[in-house]
Amino acid sequence: MSDSFSWWGVLSAVGVLTGLGITFGALLGMASARFKGEENPLVEKIDALLPQTQCGQCGYPGCRPYAEAINQGDAINKCPPGGEATILALADMLGRDPAPLDGEAASEDTVAYIREAECIGCTKCIQACPVDAIIGAAKQMHTVIEDECTGCDLCVAPCPVDCIDMLPRRKPLTQWEPIVSDRQPLRSAHAGL
Amino acid sequence: MPAYEFPGGIYPPERKERSNQAPLRPAPLPSEVTLPMSQHTGKAAWPCVNVGDTVKTGTLVARRDGMVSANVHASISGTVIEITDSVIIIQGDGEDRWATLPPLDWRTTERDALLERLDDSGLIGLGGAGFPAYIKAQVNEHHAIDTLVVDAAECEPYITADDLTLRHYAADVLEGAQLLARLCGAAHIIVGIEDNKPEAIQALQALLTVIADSEPLASVTLKIIETRYPSGGERQLIKKLLNREVPSGGLPADIGVLCHNPGTLLAGLQAVRDGLPLVARVVTLTGDAITQPGNYWVRVGTSVDALLAQVGVDDEQLHQVVVGGPMMGTPLTSLDTPVTKTTNCLIAATKEELPPAPAEAPCIRCGACESVCPAQLLPQQLHWYARAENDAALEAHHLFDCIECGACSYVCPSAIPLVQDYRSSKQRIRYKRIETAKAEHAKHRFEFRQARLAREEAEKKARRQARLAQQQSASSDAKGTQAVPVADLRSLRIAQTAAKAAVRKAEKVLARAAAQDPQQRHDDLETQLATAQENLKAAEARLAEARAASEQKEAP
Repeated sequence: MSDSFSWWGVLSAVGVLTGLGITFGALLGMASARFKGEENPLVEKIDALLPQTQCGQCGYPGCRPYAEAINQGDAINKCPPGGEATILALADMLGRDPAPLDGEAASEDTVAYIREAECIGCTKCIQACPVDAIIGAAKQMHTVIEDECTGCDLCVAPCPVDCIDMLPRRKPLTQWEPIVSDRQPLRSAHAGL
Repeated sequence: MPAYEFPGGIYPPERKERSNQAPLRPAPLPSEVTLPMSQHTGKAAWPCVNVGDTVKTGTLVARRDGMVSANVHASISGTVIEITDSVIIIQGDGEDRWATLPPLDWRTTERDALLERLDDSGLIGLGGAGFPAYIKAQVNEHHAIDTLVVDAAECEPYITADDLTLRHYAADVLEGAQLLARLCGAAHIIVGIEDNKPEAIQALQALLTVIADSEPLASVTLKIIETRYPSGGERQLIKKLLNREVPSGGLPADIGVLCHNPGTLLAGLQAVRDGLPLVARVVTLTGDAITQPGNYWVRVGTSVDALLAQVGVDDEQLHQVVVGGPMMGTPLTSLDTPVTKTTNCLIAATKEELPPAPAEAPCIRCGACESVCPAQLLPQQLHWYARAENDAALEAHHLFDCIECGACSYVCPSAIPLVQDYRSSKQRIRYKRIETAKAEHAKHRFEFRQARLAREEAEKKARRQARLAQQQSASSDAKGTQAVPVADLRSLRIAQTAAKAAVRKAEKVLARAAAQDPQQRHDDLETQLATAQENLKAAEARLAEARAASEQKEAP
């Protein structure tokens, strides 16, 4: 029995296994550093479904914080700008039950408009804007960049002279939407050919 | 040369004989024109005249806005009486005084000057889509073009505008083709024409023998094809003439072909040779309710109502007016609409001629639509998905390869308005894409703002810490009584390195995008880079603050 036992055999086995362990450990370590994933892919996915108005009506300072809160288990029905479509999309992705919207859905797409003659240049709206869509400086007239405005309302409350209105957003001419009820005419155009 | 086949297609009654008997005539000069700012693909033009200005025929009244857009010119001489967001209205003085550009010789003039002329004259594709011609002529900067296809198939029933254009101006159309071929670097010109236009074919054949002797810049071939709808579709015609297939989601330029309508070529030549901006076009006026059907040179902006009255229309018989052909056109809801650069045909139809559609019945899965689809799509599947608003499935079934030719709705025994469904689905998906892009943009701007605020905060803290350290070293008796929270230097250094890596990554992504598409603006990527830079500055400020704090702690 003692003849068949050799230190050399044991040591070589230990050596080979240790070597393999070190090699694969290093490989895995490198791979995890090289192909590092995003911090929390689910938060990213939830964030992508939110309308990104950054309006804070959900009680969180922006869409991303709300996405994080949803991930932690907060309700999915707190986003009025997104409305029912967002709730359904979130419910679908997270496998939760859709709930009725908490609050009132936005009736139309709006954009902030500053009545420039009345603006006193206090910069309060500029500080409130979550997407830097208002330009101006202290004691200078401010104005809203229409294309950047998300219609979040956050600039309306801080204005001391109440010179900001939320107006319906203008639709560009190219944004053609078909009238749903006109199903007949086109067909009639060549029905009798 | 043999003709190849494209899949599907239908044989609707042609009804072209009604409008192709009379010669091409000029329509009477309108007393007032309404010029829409958006007659082309892309952004609307921007008015550059004021109310009350006197204009001549050909005076520039609206300038193009951005790359994909086209100039608009006054189509009669007179006074500008109204300018709104979407139209300019000109009251004519009946004199038709012209303001033309200096004539150029396209053979000797530089390429850039010719392109500028096409741009200045507001030339767009007159076949229907209305894509600005000067951009199309520059396409060879990105793709090598070997063949210019003259799309004279004119496969839609009723329309004969290209037919009459070729009968009267065959030489000019072919010269215009040489001009465009020179601009895009094509060595061959192929004219594709359906066999139901014998006079036009004759005119072209007579010319070809003359041209072959004169050593033209590009060789010209005439190819007569079978009459089948929709052989005039760009992709279908290219398949038929050259046996090349335009890839899904691609353009003919991807396979080295450029397609132009004869009307566009004629207008292009007139813009260069005669200096005439695009202010008039050939319009087919046809239909049973019209007493003098035919093709007319119509000034852009003429009201449909006035135009029909001038050629004589039977108001009692008139049931509807369709703009474009009966297959792809749209019925007008109001006759107070101007003729635009892309209006090729007006059908004033009686009720017997184009009767209202029967009520829609459920799909019986007969598969007739599938066999006639020239784009080899599955109209039936698209129909279910469109009704269910299943946008992901629609895109997976290549909805955007649908050319909206209407062959499927034409053969549908259940009278389902299939194309209408596809059109509204396309529109809905496009709208969704715009919304998603907008949300993405707002998100980046929000992130940038957050990063900037964090950076400002960190810098403020760092400055405060530095001041504190200075004060303490000055008064050495102070023994660091204040408990300064010393952040973990190591984790801050890691954060700084990560922020640096993020900046490098954002720079790389932006550089790659810019190299791929130098024409485009990459606002979102630039914002992302700026956000990463802000984050880096914040990390550096935090690190500096922690260093100052730790030095201060060690010092006493």
